[in-house]
Amino acid sequence: MHPVQKHLFDTNFKDLAGSKIEGTIAISDELINMGIMDFINSLKSGAGSDAPKEPAAAPASAQSIPDPKALLSLLDVETLKFRSGEGKAMIDLKVSLKS
Amino acid sequence: MPALPQPLATILENPEVHIGGTDATIDLNLGRAFLNEILAARPPDTPVEELLLDPEAGNLVNLHLQVQAPVVGNVRRKITLRPGPAVSFPDQPWLQFDITDGFKLFDKPIIKLMQRQIADKLPRGVELTSDHLRLHVPALLTSAGHQKLVPLIKELRLTSQPNQLVVRLRISA
Repeated sequence: MHPVQKHLFDTNFKDLAGSKIEGTIAISDELINMGIMDFINSLKSGAGSDAPKEPAAAPASAQSIPDPKALLSLLDVETLKFRSGEGKAMIDLKVSLKS
Repeated sequence: MPALPQPLATILENPEVHIGGTDATIDLNLGRAFLNEILAARPPDTPVEELLLDPEAGNLVNLHLQVQAPVVGNVRRKITLRPGPAVSFPDQPWLQFDITDGFKLFDKPIIKLMQRQIADKLPRGVELTSDHLRLHVPALLTSAGHQKLVPLIKELRLTSQPNQLVVRLRISA
């Protein structure tokens, strides 16, 4: 893992506290479909793996990424609205990292 | 150049088609420890032996620097920089930092004398004089292969507050 990424994980994103994003993000249908296929392919490659099951029981590994639930608890979500446009999905958002 | 993830590469191929209608402002508050972790991850072959950032109040950033310079040898300075106005395209492409303090008696004349050699050593898009450091954002993005990002950046601004550098980026497509 890159040292910068590791620092963020180790410090629970404390050094980005107060960061925020506000506005509208538009994503084309093509991009969404590409993401869906990527996701399915990643699930398939995970399920088909012959890797031994035991390493999965080592959650404290230095390579592991933070628990998504714990990451979500760091966010203040003031606005998160989905709407669909022509050939696009639009997300209106106002989200910040808790100080 | 490292390969971009496929969705990002697709966006950059045609931003208007894939993210047209986007208008978002991102404020990244970068803490001092994080900034210095980024600087510590610089390539090992750079002639800079020490490089630390210390953002403070009043929109001032202290840069602690130790370099091996030709002729004068090992040089250690604490330079104070003041981030300048926002970058916006196409009118204002420079991200400028005024040097407000930190040069010693002979630093400025030496820099002025060696201006041409300094310019030759710096990457295209980076300009250092005795008064300021400035970065030509479109040139830097272009040399990194991300020129299609340039028209999307409506505003890029750095400001400093105690122990934090705040990067404001407005993207619109």
